[in-house]
Amino acid sequence: MNERNWRKSLLCWLVLSPLILTTLFPFAVMISTALKPAADVLAYPPRWLPSRFDWGNFVAMWKAANFGVALLNSLIVSLGSTALAILVSVPAAYALARHSFVGRGFYRQFLLFTQMLSPILLVIGLFRLAASIPWGNGTLVNTRIGLIVPYAAFQIAFAVWMLSSYFATIPRDLEEAAWLEGCGKVRAVLRVFLPLALPAMAVTAIFTFINGWNEFAVALTMLRSPSKRTLTVQVVNLVAGRYSIEWNQVMAATLAATLPVAALFAWLQRYLVKGLALGAVK
Amino acid sequence: MTASARRAFAPRMLIAPSFVLALFIIAYPFFDIARMSVYHVSRFGILGGFAGLANFRRIFADPVFIATVWRTLVWTGAVVSGTILVSLPVSLVLNENFHGQGLARTLVMLPWSVSLTMSAIVWLWSFDANHGMINATLQSIGVLRQPVQWMARASTAFPIEILVGILVSVPFVVTIFLGGLSSIPSDIYEAARIDGAGRVQQFWRLTLPLLRPFISLAVVLNVIYVFNSFPIIWVMTQGGPAEGTQILVTYLYELAFRLGRPGEAAAVSLAMLAILMVFTTIYVRMQMRSAEP
Repeated sequence: MNERNWRKSLLCWLVLSPLILTTLFPFAVMISTALKPAADVLAYPPRWLPSRFDWGNFVAMWKAANFGVALLNSLIVSLGSTALAILVSVPAAYALARHSFVGRGFYRQFLLFTQMLSPILLVIGLFRLAASIPWGNGTLVNTRIGLIVPYAAFQIAFAVWMLSSYFATIPRDLEEAAWLEGCGKVRAVLRVFLPLALPAMAVTAIFTFINGWNEFAVALTMLRSPSKRTLTVQVVNLVAGRYSIEWNQVMAATLAATLPVAALFAWLQRYLVKGLALGAVK
Repeated sequence: MTASARRAFAPRMLIAPSFVLALFIIAYPFFDIARMSVYHVSRFGILGGFAGLANFRRIFADPVFIATVWRTLVWTGAVVSGTILVSLPVSLVLNENFHGQGLARTLVMLPWSVSLTMSAIVWLWSFDANHGMINATLQSIGVLRQPVQWMARASTAFPIEILVGILVSVPFVVTIFLGGLSSIPSDIYEAARIDGAGRVQQFWRLTLPLLRPFISLAVVLNVIYVFNSFPIIWVMTQGGPAEGTQILVTYLYELAFRLGRPGEAAAVSLAMLAILMVFTTIYVRMQMRSAEP
C-alpha cells in the first residue's frame, strides 16, 4: 500500500470518529457498569474501570429480572412471528418478482400503506382485537400468540420488499430449463428456485427476527403477567417506576439481551445493504 | 375464465395469504379505532352512544394536545433533518475505499441491532446526574463544573432525546444512501474529471442530484418511523416532566392505558394518521413537480 492510501484512510477514520465514538459509548457504559460491584456504581465521581470485576451482577440480574423466562418468551415470539411472516411473504415475493398481473400495483401500494399504519398508531385497536378473540381460558390478550400474529403482519411489507428484490436477481432461465426437461412448474420452483432463494430467505428471516426481538410498544400493551413478558418489557420494568434502580444489574441485563443480536447483526449487515439497495431502485 | 384472468389467478393466490393476514391485523383495528373515535367510550372500552365529533372537539380544546402536536413536529423535523445531515457525509466516506472500511461500516450500523428500548435505558443511565458517565466525562475534561440534572427539565431532556433519536436513525439512512451511491456508475466521475470538475463540484453537480431519489426515500420513511417512535421518550422521560417531552404517540398511550380516555385516544390516532397522510401527499406532489423538466 502506498503512503497516499494510508493518509486517505486516516482522514476517513478521522471524519467518522465522532459518530463511531458516540456509537460505541453506550456499549462501553453497559460493559463498565455491568461489571461493577454495587458500591462502585454509587461512588462519586464515577469511573470507567470497576475496582474489581463483579460477575455476580449477571446472576443477580438473572433472578431479579426473571431473565430466563423472558429470554424464552422473546425467543418464542420472535421465532414464531418470523416463521409466519416468511411463510406468507415468500409466495407473495415470488409473485411480484416473476409475474406481472392486474392488482400488482395495488398490492405494492397496500404494503406501503401498512408501513404507514405503525403498530403504535393501532395499538388500542390491536388490544381490542386480541381481547375480542377467545383463547384458552381467556382471550388473546396476555398470550404469546397474541404478539406473534401482529408482529408477523407488520413485517410483511419489509419481508416482501427484501425477498422480491433478491428473487428478481435469480435468473428465470433456470426454471424454464427445468420445464423443458419435463419438470412441472411447481416442482421447478421447489427443486430449482427455492434452493437458490434460501440465502435470501435466511437473511430476511434474521432481520425479521431482530425486529421482533426488539419490539416494545405492542408487547408492553398485550402482556400482563410476568411469566409472559418479553425481554424488552422485562428490562424496562427494572427501571420504570422503581424507587431505587440497581443499575449494575440493569446494565448486565441490557448487555445480555443486546450482545447476541449485535454480534449476529454485525456479521450480516452487508447483506442488508445489498438487499435494500436492490429494492430501492425498483 | 379468459386467458388473462387465468394468468392473474396464480399470482393472486400467491399474494393472498400475506394480503389476508395484513388486512386482518391492520384493517380491523383501523376500523375499530375509527368507530371508537365517534362514540362515547367508557374507560373499560365499552362503547356508549354516538358522540359525533365530541372526542375530536375535546382533544382540540386540550392545551396539552395542541402543545404535543407542535412538539411532535419539532421532534420529527429535528430528528429527520439531523439524521440526513449526519448520514450524508458518513455514507460518502463509507463509500470510499480505505483501510478498515468493512469494520467502519459495521461500527456505524451497530446501533440498528440494539433495540430502541435498550438504547434508551443505557442513555438514561449515562445522563444520570450523579453517577452517569456523561457528567463524569464532561467534568473531567473541564466542560462542566457542577453535575447537570439533565433529565429533570424538559429544556435539556427533550434535546437529549432528539440526539438519541438521530443516533439510532443514522444506520438505516446510511444503508439507503450506500445503496444509492453504489448505483451511481463510476465512469461519470471519470468523465467529469476529464472535463476539469473538482471534487466539490463533482459532489454538487453529480452525486447530490443522483442521490436525490434516495434522499427522498430516506426522508419519507424516516418521517413515518420517527413520528411514530415510542420507546425513546417513553423510557427516558415518559412524556414528563410536566408533559414537557410528550409527543403524540406517548400522549396517545397515556390517554388510552393510563388516563382511561380511550375515545379521545382513538381520536388522537386518527389525527396522527391524517397528519402523516397530509405529509406524504404534499411530499409526493412536490417530488412529482420537481421531477418534471
